[in-house]
Amino acid sequence: MEAKELKIGVVSCSGEDCAGGTISRLATRKMMDELRPDNTVTICLPLFLAGGQEERMFAKEYPTIAVDGCAKACAKRATEKYSGQVSGFVLVSDLIGKAAAEGPALSTRDLTAEHQAMVDKVAVEITRQFDAIMDAGCQKPGNETPASCGCGCNCSC
Amino acid sequence: MPTSGKVKVIPCSGMGKVYGLMAREAALYAATRLCPDKADTMCLAYIVTGDADAEASIVNQPCITIDGCPAMCSAKSVAAMGGDVKEQFKVLDVMKEHKGARPGTATALTDEGWTIVEKIAGRLESRVQAICGEGR
Repeated sequence: MEAKELKIGVVSCSGEDCAGGTISRLATRKMMDELRPDNTVTICLPLFLAGGQEERMFAKEYPTIAVDGCAKACAKRATEKYSGQVSGFVLVSDLIGKAAAEGPALSTRDLTAEHQAMVDKVAVEITRQFDAIMDAGCQKPGNETPASCGCGCNCSC
Repeated sequence: MPTSGKVKVIPCSGMGKVYGLMAREAALYAATRLCPDKADTMCLAYIVTGDADAEASIVNQPCITIDGCPAMCSAKSVAAMGGDVKEQFKVLDVMKEHKGARPGTATALTDEGWTIVEKIAGRLESRVQAICGEGR
């Protein structure tokens, strides 16, 4: 039987109040556009509350990585509130510094090379966690434990 | 109850389609450039958490929502948390006035996309001004 392809949901806060939200959004988009386009699924965070059953079910059944701009960790907390524990968590302010992350709201039109470097740095960390989840999901075959990682393989993760 | 006394312009910021980015940019443009003294924005993700502090910031406050798709996540979420939704904008309604337009992607807008965003922001500003004028 062909194994179902593993998808990972990357849930960004995309917060409008601070620069970290914009960085989180763009790093998540980079996963979809460039880094892991075949396996990344994004989820509109507000749909968790607005009745998006597909989003809630996806996040229950597949691994998710929450990407948050600031310490409020809204993406992580909302995902766990409505769907279940996340498999990975990236806090932008840990990577680019609290002052930068909690700086004024940032339009994508005002992105500087420095901002782009922040996006790249966050995307590297998302990718690291992404690949670790992939490895755990597909490289630990076990015959007795049913698949629970969402990839459909017969692994013990 | 801590509030800014400003009209809150809250976009969906949907991740999957260009219309979510347009909603986000229009809200930012209105709140930070067109009428920063009368409007501000608020993270919809924070509202979605249901935190007491988030609720306290929005309950009974005048709000304008702007959504990128028919799911209307911003309008529904803000209303569910007790915000006083004065207007529900839909990016798709504006896009009907620009048939064939190529506004960009959910990652980046084209010049055409920015032109439409500024048009939406202008409408947001008008509504903000009207709300601020009500009852004064």
